[in-house]
Amino acid sequence: MSCGTGGSSCETPRRRGAFVVLAILAVIFVVLSVFSFLKSRNQVTPDTVSFGAYQAADGKRVFQAYNCMGCHTMVGNGAYLGPDLTKEYHRAGPAWLAAFLPSAGGWPTKAAVRAQLLDPNQQADAGTDSIDAYLKKFPGAAERIERRGGGTTMMPNLPLTKDEIGQLIAYLKYTSAMNTEGWPPKVEVDGFDHRVQLAHGMVAAAQAAPAPAAPTAAAPATVDPVAHGAQLVKDNGCVACHATSDKRLVGPGWGGLYNSTVKLADGSTVIADDAYLRESIRQPNAKIVAGYPTGVMPAYDALLKDDEVNAIVAYLHSLEKQ
Amino acid sequence: MQIEFQTQRLSMRFFMLMLVLFVLQVGYGLLLSLQQTDPTVLAGVMNFNVARAEHLNLGILWILCGFIGAILFVGPLLAKREMVAPWLIKLLFYAVIVIAVWNFFTLRLAQFGIAGWWQGQPWLQQGLEYLEAGRIAGVLVLIGFAILAYVVLRTFPPVREWNEIHWGLGLGVSALMAVWVFGLFYVARLDLQEYFRWFVVHYWVEGVWEVIHITLVGFLLVLMFKVDVKSVGFAVFWGVMLVWLSGLIGNAHHYFWIGTPEFWQFWGSLFSALEPLPLVFCFWHIYLDAHVNKRPLENAPAFYFILGSVVLEQIGAGILGFTMTFALTNVWSHGTWVTPGHAHLALFGTFGMLGIAAAYYAVPLLRKVPNYDQRLGKLAFWLVLTGVLGMAFSFAIGGTVQIYVYRILGLDWFGGDVARSMGVFKLMLPMFGVVFATGAGVLAYDLLTLGRRVAVPAGTDGHGEAAAVHPGTRWSRPLSGFEAGIWLMMMWIFGTIITLGLLSFNLPRVRVAGDPTLPYLLAGVGYPGLLLVTLLFVWRFLASMEARAKTTVAAPSLLRVLPAQA
Repeated sequence: MSCGTGGSSCETPRRRGAFVVLAILAVIFVVLSVFSFLKSRNQVTPDTVSFGAYQAADGKRVFQAYNCMGCHTMVGNGAYLGPDLTKEYHRAGPAWLAAFLPSAGGWPTKAAVRAQLLDPNQQADAGTDSIDAYLKKFPGAAERIERRGGGTTMMPNLPLTKDEIGQLIAYLKYTSAMNTEGWPPKVEVDGFDHRVQLAHGMVAAAQAAPAPAAPTAAAPATVDPVAHGAQLVKDNGCVACHATSDKRLVGPGWGGLYNSTVKLADGSTVIADDAYLRESIRQPNAKIVAGYPTGVMPAYDALLKDDEVNAIVAYLHSLEKQ
Repeated sequence: MQIEFQTQRLSMRFFMLMLVLFVLQVGYGLLLSLQQTDPTVLAGVMNFNVARAEHLNLGILWILCGFIGAILFVGPLLAKREMVAPWLIKLLFYAVIVIAVWNFFTLRLAQFGIAGWWQGQPWLQQGLEYLEAGRIAGVLVLIGFAILAYVVLRTFPPVREWNEIHWGLGLGVSALMAVWVFGLFYVARLDLQEYFRWFVVHYWVEGVWEVIHITLVGFLLVLMFKVDVKSVGFAVFWGVMLVWLSGLIGNAHHYFWIGTPEFWQFWGSLFSALEPLPLVFCFWHIYLDAHVNKRPLENAPAFYFILGSVVLEQIGAGILGFTMTFALTNVWSHGTWVTPGHAHLALFGTFGMLGIAAAYYAVPLLRKVPNYDQRLGKLAFWLVLTGVLGMAFSFAIGGTVQIYVYRILGLDWFGGDVARSMGVFKLMLPMFGVVFATGAGVLAYDLLTLGRRVAVPAGTDGHGEAAAVHPGTRWSRPLSGFEAGIWLMMMWIFGTIITLGLLSFNLPRVRVAGDPTLPYLLAGVGYPGLLLVTLLFVWRFLASMEARAKTTVAAPSLLRVLPAQA
């Protein structure tokens, strides 16, 4: 830096020395940066990670397109409205993410996660097709289902397509595999219940984790099919995507749907009768309603028995247009 | 002082645009604080991430408008001639408006997952914090920076005749453009993407904005107190040099956990701990420059905001930055509400207040109302200062709770565990936000209508009654260097307490047994203590300055304490 006014106030030698130090620091910074990205560092890169046919590199683009970082943090950077996503795949696993992402406004139930595990792609990635083994492998998913399953979240539903969901899972798989030098720090306080209790106190802990209202008990045959259907849609987490009014959430609303005329994506129309509704539950991608993405809803063919499907249809019949 | 050059008047439109964008940004901030308490507010219409992207982008744009306005105002004075190519400056003005409007429409596309991918680049929006705008806006911004750099460098005299102020601004506007380039490429690897994202964000703030800030503060003090340019030049040179010496590798504090190697923790902790040094230096210098000659305060709001800028730089960037700069404290503060406490004070305080100060200095001169009514400006200052300190307090304490529940207890349910525990502080945020927004409204109204309202009658004191002595505190007596040093030391003592509080999360008692008493206690003493000392210090400093308005003795500036050469 020159000194326009000249004279001794320039203290030139000292200033020159400062520039030399600055140059040395710049060299140090460049050398450290080069070492940070050498192959020998063995840091995982997105081009080596995939979830089935979906590439992590594509998932990163989806992540940016939806500005996920505007609410969540990723490697701790971003906004602080929602949880950090770096290790989400590691904690909750692919099937839970696949059940959550299409209808982010609701917490997936156990049945909703199990429905995802029917997908061979999911089975291969999770390493199991059994929901119990899955929940053991991904305790984050178990905790979410038990404490939050069927409830509403703080997150708005996003118009994610089937491919985007797969790509996002691949991306989260990549970030989970990254070496982030021990961040986020490992939790060392023992016992989940103990930790909830530390956060909320004794009484609140008892309220926070109520015993799940035993949905497993098979409905007696005498039960009204409409009530049975209502219980089934709750247990299976259907209402995370479908409103009981005619409002669109993620999928079409149910209010007044029964026997109405539905326009399909291929341009044809169909009456939403018993046969159509049964098919749409068993094989949802056989007929897609116009304006809705394909492949977002899992097939419930193998999960629901005939009488259960009929009960759900009966329940849908009972819902009027609002 | 009168306007000597016609092109100085071009700064007016940038100051006015700054105020409009500032008020809009504060509006988005209020919405965000409401969404923090209730995330369903406007969900699906204006999701949190869209509002936040707007909040950050407008924040950058209005701070830049303040810089541009200030540079245009002082540029002709430094060059001793008119700015070249005024038509380019007018073009730049419209370009800023176009970018702001363009971003309003494109940032919304995040709700639909549209980034505008073409040729491997996101052209419409790219969903990266601080760099949300897409490539089209990014290229426009680059052109804008090029125009600014061209105009400033062409206006300045030949490099041979530059003093430190010229160098500071010349390097500042050039580096503004150069650093921005690192944000214009899509990077497929997350670690590499974050590495380069901090090139833009950190080096802008720490390497470029800080340089422009130091230079402008120096020159505004020259204008306001008729301080000797040469001695300010000494401060500007060493201020800038210390910023670069500490901040160059100091950037490493962003590389602790993004997937880069562990050795950054050593370098980042070491060098970014030195980052407050230039800020202490700058802080000390404003004390000297303002107190050495006992000139009365002619334009109180302008000086209020300069002081606010330097003090909040010390608190927000210096002390709060220092508390979370070590790997052992950063591991806890990272990714929590603790960080926006630091960010709001550092960004609004340091850079925002400087733009407002420049506007308060320039607008009365441009509108030919040197004896304007200064009461609204002072009121606005106290409102925004209290508001932003309160917001920082809510963020910091809320963040401390968040660290405990989210990281120590490992409960990741924001709706059920984390947000619930932070509830009180999530409510305090919009409360202080309203105080801040009121101040922002008052100062925007004041500056927009300054000179168009009823003028203060000639001969009356534009300061209003606030200039009266403070009999209770006797704070109208001059502030000695010793006392200023005590205040500074108290700030750093509370800063140390905060640092120890973050450090105490590592103790087995907290981390393993889950007992939060110590970190809560230290945060509960440290943050309110620091922010209260800050408020009181600003009060004390300004009271001593105000008292000078009564005594009109203008001592010649022979009493320079800090010699130009050591």
